[in-house]
Amino acid sequence: MFKAVYNWIDERLDVAPLWRDVADHEVPEHVNPAHHFSAFVYCFGGLTFFITVIQILSGMFLTMYFVPDINNAYASVDYLQHKVAFGGIVRGMHHWGASLVIVMMFLHTLRVFFTGSYKAPREMNWVVGMLIFFIMLGLGFTGYLLPWDNKAYFATKVGMQIAESVPYIGVYLKELMQGGTIVGAQTLTRFFAIHVFFLPGALLALMAAHFFMIRKQGISGPL
Amino acid sequence: MAHGHKSDEKIVYVGDSRVRKRSNKTIVPPDYTAFPGKSEAFIPNFLLKEWLVGCVVLVGFLVLTIAEAPPLGYPADPTNTAFIPMPDWYFLFLYQFLKYPYASGDYVVLGAVAVPGVAFGALLLAPFLDTGKERRFYRRPVASALMVLSLIACVYLTKVSWDHYQYELKVTNTVPEHIEREEKAKEAREKGQSFSAVKKEESVEIVDANDPAMEIVKANCIGCHAVDLKGQKALKVPALRGVGDILTKEELVETVTNGRAGGAMPSFKEKLTAEQIDQITTWLSKQKKAQ
Amino acid sequence: MSNHEGQKPVRKEMSRRQFLSYTLGGTTAFMAGGVVLPMVRFAVDPILQKKEKSAFIKVVEESKITNDPVEYKFKIHQVDGWYESEAELVAWVSKGADGKIFALSPVCKHLGCTIGWNTEQSDQYVCPCHGAHYTRDGKNLSVAPKPLDEYQVELKDGFVYLGPIVANTRV
Repeated sequence: MFKAVYNWIDERLDVAPLWRDVADHEVPEHVNPAHHFSAFVYCFGGLTFFITVIQILSGMFLTMYFVPDINNAYASVDYLQHKVAFGGIVRGMHHWGASLVIVMMFLHTLRVFFTGSYKAPREMNWVVGMLIFFIMLGLGFTGYLLPWDNKAYFATKVGMQIAESVPYIGVYLKELMQGGTIVGAQTLTRFFAIHVFFLPGALLALMAAHFFMIRKQGISGPL
Repeated sequence: MAHGHKSDEKIVYVGDSRVRKRSNKTIVPPDYTAFPGKSEAFIPNFLLKEWLVGCVVLVGFLVLTIAEAPPLGYPADPTNTAFIPMPDWYFLFLYQFLKYPYASGDYVVLGAVAVPGVAFGALLLAPFLDTGKERRFYRRPVASALMVLSLIACVYLTKVSWDHYQYELKVTNTVPEHIEREEKAKEAREKGQSFSAVKKEESVEIVDANDPAMEIVKANCIGCHAVDLKGQKALKVPALRGVGDILTKEELVETVTNGRAGGAMPSFKEKLTAEQIDQITTWLSKQKKAQ
Repeated sequence: MSNHEGQKPVRKEMSRRQFLSYTLGGTTAFMAGGVVLPMVRFAVDPILQKKEKSAFIKVVEESKITNDPVEYKFKIHQVDGWYESEAELVAWVSKGADGKIFALSPVCKHLGCTIGWNTEQSDQYVCPCHGAHYTRDGKNLSVAPKPLDEYQVELKDGFVYLGPIVANTRV
């Protein structure tokens, strides 16, 4: 049955090369932790991707309960964490996953740096990777505000003040991010939009570019 | 259009569509014969091994999420002056950096914009700064040394920042809100009650604000009980709004005449006549929540 | 259509292909602009909105003010987009050496945390975040680049009224 459906689609769209390209490409021994235990350092990139998938999924489910409104944000987070079945775990996945993704990405970056894998011809992939890093930090910063507890509110105020210290454009930058002169209702909705739509959109595009370049250039050789 | 194609091209169309009929071509995988050792196919051979590592990480991660509830403090209160803000741990190094004399004060632009800008910019453009052919880290001492130094600096700054936070907590004798909230919730759970830090919006209106007694209250009470008669939570001064729900007229007379709470609420028997006390306590006993 | 390869157009004018490419580029720019411009204006609106100056609010009796700063809370009507509220503001009010009453904003001029008076028993304002210190007059002693802001003060009928926030005038 499955085979018949597959054949039917394949006849029309010729999908075999697409997945065979991903499935059949060879992976060299020096990155294979089954051959050399030290090759586990090559796993951090894949693990970053895995945690990112967890983040996207748990985030999607959190928005089923979360309300980005200063009167209700805290109450909705309180509710989803303490009243909804498995709420503590799903929010926990998103909260701790945010830290873990930074850790994994950090280790991945260090691996690439110390193996010199960012050198020609892979410069562009390094740049894209760093942009992903910055976007992740942005996601961490914007996500911190959303529960609208004191920690969220005051840490965001500090962040805004740092933005304000940029010469000339700082004040406008701050107001643009805050959506006004204070950290308030409009800041929360803005941060929500940035956290849930703008940054993930950019993240997906950059990740696609990252993976495309890895496939195109292959993994860097052994040292 | 079609007549532009060379006639010897072997394209066979399926029906009248433009979809090419599949030939039995095999895909040539990228060649890794130049690398030492055996290579293996991505799916299923290699991915299986990578996912075994993934499983270990996932189990650890799930144990963490089950063991540690994600922190949640109390609802944001812009007037909370006692709160010690802390950013997420991965921003702490920057947070700490901004405390230093040449990164703050007159140099705040240097600390908040220039130095992080240069550091992150250099990281972003690393492949264009470190252009040598050599890949081994010990053969490119400058790049490696800079990275190691930055790492040490980040770890150090994070640690100092955290220690300072712990010190501040100790000096001001505060418990971080998310811990306090959790403990309160636990206590409530043990007593079988439900707990929520969600503020119920209960604004109790002042009843009869134009009553002449209000003038006496204004003259004598608002120093402690605040202009809006909402009291001062930090100083444990209760609100006068809605006080009629808590104390009866007789209790109010007693409180105003003789004071309360060991003199925290002073006695007014010298300052006010019995008649005035009667006047304001009558008014205060009317301060009840609107039903 | 005609696909005579190798035969360059003799005329120096724009080729049909170039013309179509430019037109396509222009159309793309129009479509992108038409879609994005309203959104950009939409997003930057808060910056361009006129800011209203806050009125003077009665806070406390003049006679209550001592030489030591005391924290007073007062309410202003705050409009934050669709969210209108009676926001509570905090001012540290005291009498200066010159006998004048002044009110300091509790927002640290370093990175916007909230300062406290005398939390380290040093007769200074202290910020818990990065350890900024200020004197009674709000003069910045360390870390912060500027002195604490002041509320404009008005004295009327024995009461202290506080208005908009201005830069410190005492240092």
